[in-house]
Amino acid sequence: MLKLTKSLGQSFTITNLAGLRALNRSYAATNVKEGAQLNPDEPIDMPNPFEKDPEQCILCKHDITPYYKNVKLLSQFQSPYTGRIYGRHITGLCKQKQEDVEQAIKRAQRCLLMPGYHKDLEFLHDPKLFDPERPSRPHKY
Amino acid sequence: MPSYELALVLRQMPRPELISAIRRTAECILDSGGIIRKLENLGTRALPHKVSEHGVVHREGTHFNIAFDTSPTKIADLKEEFGRDIDIIRRHVFKIEEPEKFKCTLHQEMLPPAYRKDVQEMIEIAKRKQKPKYNYNSGLDYYPFQK
Repeated sequence: MLKLTKSLGQSFTITNLAGLRALNRSYAATNVKEGAQLNPDEPIDMPNPFEKDPEQCILCKHDITPYYKNVKLLSQFQSPYTGRIYGRHITGLCKQKQEDVEQAIKRAQRCLLMPGYHKDLEFLHDPKLFDPERPSRPHKY
Repeated sequence: MPSYELALVLRQMPRPELISAIRRTAECILDSGGIIRKLENLGTRALPHKVSEHGVVHREGTHFNIAFDTSPTKIADLKEEFGRDIDIIRRHVFKIEEPEKFKCTLHQEMLPPAYRKDVQEMIEIAKRKQKPKYNYNSGLDYYPFQK
């Protein structure tokens, strides 16, 4: 990142960044290549170098597909008190993954692999993926 | 022939009987013209809750999975056949599907509501559903006639 800022500082003068940009914008947008050749001080049309990578949910980041036989993973998305599946505002998953997790949990419960009204005691002290006390969005409860 | 997965929960019984029960179900699939791809034992353990099936209350069971290929028209017959077997507590047939590739949309969902695509669509629908208001075009700020 430091290198990038240095190289940017070399190619753009301060006056160029402040004043001339607005004047030359329309010109630069129409013929970018020609403008760059004519005047090397002009701003170049380039994607934002400081743009951050898009945020990913925890399952997408590690490329995990929830499956009904993977009970240990699925039980992490279940409340230990009531066995209810935590919502998207708590789990922090993307829409598709949350749907997959919910479907897999329901399937596991029908196959008697997972309890529905509590969390399996075996997995009670598993590491927490999220804090249900601090949801990302307010909710009706 | 599509691939299916049969998730079985068998009642608690001694090993030879268990083997014969699994053989029975497997032969049932083979008789219907199917192919067995995989047999998977998920172990004997206490069920998450007591289950009443075929007039008996079960508290322990053996989980067993059979992956097989067969014609979709035979699935209903197989289910009916397994439903009559008193050694089987639960039977579920799931289709084996490759998970679809998709990109994580979390960064879009974390945007403020006005920038989210689904919210914008909802606003569009609400606008469309609003009743058209009659414009009197009289230039007066009140309705001149009796209503």
